[in-house]
Amino acid sequence: MSTISLKIEFGGGLELLFANQRSHRIDIPALVPVSAPSAAGPLSTDEQESQKKPADVTYLLYWLRDNLLKEREELFMEHGTVRPGVLVLINDTDWELEGEGDYQLKNNDEIVFISTLHGG
Amino acid sequence: MSCGNPQAEPDALMQRKKKYDKTRNCVRCKDAIGNIVIRHAVYCKYCFFPLTTHKFRRALEPNVNAKPDGPRKTALKPAGTLLVGFSGGLGSSVLLDLVYKCYVSLDKSTMPAEGGRDHPRHERVWKKITVCYVEVCDAFPGTPDRTEDVTKFVSRYDELQLATLRIQDAFDPAWWEKIGGRMSFADIGVSLADEALFIGSLTQSHLDPLAALRAYLSSLPTPTAVHSAIQTLVRVLLLHSALHTGASHLILGTSLTSLAISLISGVAQGSGFNIREETSEEWYPDTGVTNVPEYWPDEGRKGKRLKRTVRVVRPLRDIGMKECAAWAWWSHIPVVGKETWLWPGAKPGIGTLTKEFILGLEQDYPSTVSTIVRTCAKLQPKGEVEGKCILCGRPAQRGVQNWKAQIAIRSQPPPPPAADARAALSPAPVVAEPPFQASLTPYLCYTCHTTLTSRSARPVPTPWPDLARPSVVSLPVWTAARLSVSAESEGAEMVEPTDEEVVRQRKMGQDEMKSIVNEFLLED
Repeated sequence: MSTISLKIEFGGGLELLFANQRSHRIDIPALVPVSAPSAAGPLSTDEQESQKKPADVTYLLYWLRDNLLKEREELFMEHGTVRPGVLVLINDTDWELEGEGDYQLKNNDEIVFISTLHGG
Repeated sequence: MSCGNPQAEPDALMQRKKKYDKTRNCVRCKDAIGNIVIRHAVYCKYCFFPLTTHKFRRALEPNVNAKPDGPRKTALKPAGTLLVGFSGGLGSSVLLDLVYKCYVSLDKSTMPAEGGRDHPRHERVWKKITVCYVEVCDAFPGTPDRTEDVTKFVSRYDELQLATLRIQDAFDPAWWEKIGGRMSFADIGVSLADEALFIGSLTQSHLDPLAALRAYLSSLPTPTAVHSAIQTLVRVLLLHSALHTGASHLILGTSLTSLAISLISGVAQGSGFNIREETSEEWYPDTGVTNVPEYWPDEGRKGKRLKRTVRVVRPLRDIGMKECAAWAWWSHIPVVGKETWLWPGAKPGIGTLTKEFILGLEQDYPSTVSTIVRTCAKLQPKGEVEGKCILCGRPAQRGVQNWKAQIAIRSQPPPPPAADARAALSPAPVVAEPPFQASLTPYLCYTCHTTLTSRSARPVPTPWPDLARPSVVSLPVWTAARLSVSAESEGAEMVEPTDEEVVRQRKMGQDEMKSIVNEFLLED
């Protein structure tokens, strides 16, 4: 199964949830089952079994939650996306310009999560 | 038009709305591909920095000269030095970076292009810049001390001096004396257990400041009150430090988002009258309790000397939290971080809940946060000012206690049983009146009074449950000093009234009231 390599960075205090490590290099599957959590709508069982889709940022969020997050999930994710107050940059660009959770990840992408929750 | 079935028809799903207008190109240079969306507008990384610097300067510089001006023609001449309030959080870290680049290192990228190399704006504006950090870790159990991290962070910026305080300094007579505060003549405190807020003598004089702080916080009625009290203590500590260091300006790293949070949260806690001060304020120190230096307003030491004041400015008030995060990331600022003020068993207070609400709102509707701030800026408080609150130092509204007494629903003792009604008609026996006790209430603004007295229906865990709670707790040094001065100036009246007439209030029964007005009643 092919994988894609990603560089993940945490800033603004978010690294505290990830073993206080700011930078991570991870490998995730390039194609994931359609039934995997996604911003797209649900599909029928037959389609889920037969189809795969490219890994997107929403899949990555769940992957990070299940594999890297050490504590307090609620400070990272909420309602299937990042918690309000967390800025996401995809290759140095605001994820709102890239389609947010629907952005299809590519090999060597750099995804940055910055918490703005530390206030003034 | 009917709703389709998204499983059968893929087109039936509503398309996700884009978070930005028109194209992905930068709206400023129209050329580069954008890197960030700020309230629906797209900016590239290269345009983002001058844009943010411009917003920062636009919020700060019209407030630098003693006479605030609109389109400024003259050079920036502040009346004193600059104090930067630093919390370790994102906003104040970005603020410090901007101050350093714009006014210390005179970074070319932050300078406006027009005006030439020798334009006055390219000169140093502030002769001295001090960074003041108030460590609040001692107020909550298990909170790490970040003073060392903050010291390391500030040392990145040469020529900036760091002054560190601790939250318990608010109860430390030694600190108060050091900065020129007047000492209170007696060890007076307040009983927070009673809504009347009676002033009394402390059982233990010269209490350790840390113990006094913890006793004060543990006696507060709600988690919201604890948060609010700490914010007030930090603010007044910063103001007095500014005065002591000769600063004419205190700047805070309150971003647009933080400002919207504090405005809404403040209104929810009863500080609507002080809504303007939440954005910017001119603090006039109390000359009765602290030494207020004087200065010459004009160069050449001409004219009349003026008492120093401190102008509080929030230069990031047009810059959202998202922009702050992007600035910090792209400028490689290692944000120290700020602890959440929580303790075991405590429920989130109004401030925390407001923050969660506003952050969610900002994510879905990015322009609403700016609308909150702009709308609040148009509000004009109703009513007259009657002095200043001796706890928070902000203007207090006239007649607020009378108003509060009229609108508040209070629990009354049950009416006397019918058998006792006859006894109630008889003249009250002559008993010794309870001794007159002065109250803190008349000296407080509505917000501070509500903070100290508004109780939760359920028991609230305190940050320090094992701490013995004295009946009378210490007050912040500036409040105690003000009470002392008031007591001195009013002679003994504050403690023992000299009036012969004593007014006594008691609840009358219906029969008693009827007997009084009986002769005026018309027959049926």
